[in-house]
Amino acid sequence: MAHFDETPLYEARNIGKSYGSVIALSDVSLKIHAGEVIGLVGDNGAGKSTLVKILSGVYQPDKGQLLVDGVEHSWKSPHDAMEAGVETLYQDSGLAPDLSIGSNVFLGRERMRPGILGKLGFLDQKFMEVEARKDLEKVGITIPASKRNVSQLSGGQRQAVAIGRAVAWARKVILLDEPTNHLGARQSNEVLGVIKAAKERGLGVVFISHTLPHVLQVTDRIVVLRLGRVVKDAPTSEFNAESLLGTITGLSGSRVEEDETEAIA
Amino acid sequence: MSTKVAESTTSVGNASPEKVPTLLSRLLGNQQFLLLIAFIVLVAFFTTRNSVFLSNGEFANIFADFASLILLGVAETYVIATGGIDLSVGATSGFAGVVAAFAMRSMHGSEAVVLIVGFLVCIAIGALVGVVNGVLMNYAGLVPFVATLVTLGAAGGMSIVLTGGAPIGNDPNAIATTVSIIGPFSWPVLVVIAITIISGLYLHASRFGKYTFSIGSNEFASRAAGINVKSHLMKVYVLSGVLSGITGMFFYLRLGSGAPTSGAGAELSAIAAVVIGGAQLSGGSARLSGTTLGALILTTVTSGLIIMNVQPNWNQVAVAILIAIAAGFQTLRPSKRKK
Repeated sequence: MAHFDETPLYEARNIGKSYGSVIALSDVSLKIHAGEVIGLVGDNGAGKSTLVKILSGVYQPDKGQLLVDGVEHSWKSPHDAMEAGVETLYQDSGLAPDLSIGSNVFLGRERMRPGILGKLGFLDQKFMEVEARKDLEKVGITIPASKRNVSQLSGGQRQAVAIGRAVAWARKVILLDEPTNHLGARQSNEVLGVIKAAKERGLGVVFISHTLPHVLQVTDRIVVLRLGRVVKDAPTSEFNAESLLGTITGLSGSRVEEDETEAIA
Repeated sequence: MSTKVAESTTSVGNASPEKVPTLLSRLLGNQQFLLLIAFIVLVAFFTTRNSVFLSNGEFANIFADFASLILLGVAETYVIATGGIDLSVGATSGFAGVVAAFAMRSMHGSEAVVLIVGFLVCIAIGALVGVVNGVLMNYAGLVPFVATLVTLGAAGGMSIVLTGGAPIGNDPNAIATTVSIIGPFSWPVLVVIAITIISGLYLHASRFGKYTFSIGSNEFASRAAGINVKSHLMKVYVLSGVLSGITGMFFYLRLGSGAPTSGAGAELSAIAAVVIGGAQLSGGSARLSGTTLGALILTTVTSGLIIMNVQPNWNQVAVAILIAIAAGFQTLRPSKRKK
């Protein structure tokens, strides 16, 4: 893994964020390299979602820097991050259920009709439906018909479309916030498959999950957050299920809390 | 490593994967088709009661009433598609008509120039109310219902204050424009129909329309996709104001004066047309063809009841029944939606 000495695709340096007197993140640093899957784990309230929203441009950090390919950036909106090649899958579906699959894949990046109609603001809907299907297939997701509204899909299918959209558009990094939440075992495995495919395409992946076996299975490196700080950042090979859980909770023994047991099951 | 979302193309969205929907069941699930049938049945019914109903003159009346309503319905369709509501459309149309009447009365010029200036004043007043609505929502944080309730009161009140309650102007040139030129259509009615068609194409085929629906469907997802939600909502409410202003000019042409009470309560008919047309009030889903048929049905019923010599007060009851039927159909229809 010598290539990790190269400039990271995306780097967060000494990020701090507080809400009033509550410190959500303090001095958090993170490096994401090409073809690397990073597991971002921590207990509820550890600051995972805040960190993702800072990385994706939803929130602005109070302190610290964000660097893409070594160049400092500050996101005013998620759109800025998207423009720079950083795609995000949000925990609560980021799809518009009343729009078609194709329209969702192209939302915010519509293809206009050629010529005068396009200048007048008219969309090339057919092109987008066809391309959306191809884009999703490219990342391993087969959809029935991209004209269908997302509201007609099941939860797992929606998640597949949302992940497919993020992977299809990402040029550098994808941030996946709890992508396997609410999914069955088979669908979860498919999501993990999409993550591996993204890695093989040379993307950097940040995978946030409570399901530790998934994290251990698919990541190259694990970053553990506790109370807004990075308490460990090490190759996945250095962890096992027990030590990972211990690092997350801060309890050195093998005390397993109830909800974590459920997550593992 | 292929993630199969569905085994076959027919398995998504249909209750039973094996069954391909028949043409009949598809048509019965289509609100526009049912509305078209309802419209034809209503016309047939009123014609059997009184053959005058099918006459050119009566159709001219129906289309003039339709034209008074449809642009407000278009405005409301855009707004409701975003998940909002605009209560100010009726009051804005009356206010725009009044201000334009003052402007036109003070002018000396050829009649065409005077009317064009009136038209532009109406658009400007409508846009202004739309901007106020947008500012109240985006910067004062009011919800659409409250913001537009404020402008309803302000515009409606200002119309009365400015005019003392009496119509402004007496303009035979304006009324002259409302004579039918092609079949039952006068040129202002044709202009209104053209605006309606363009608005429909724009809502359903343009990027602006796509964002209108996406914001109503999932505001967070729209923002995350890079859509400037506040700016888009501002544009939608300005569009709503402009369409209301144009309706104010239409009222002026029909009456030959700017009447402060014209348009009062019209927002309810406009919302009724949208609801009958099958839109979802929570946003994300609406069809302008549905709204158009809804407005046609409302105006047909109103005219039909007059022709049947039913007391005009029953009109509101008839509208209420139509809304109840349309809303009932939406809940009874096999739902295509989840959550």
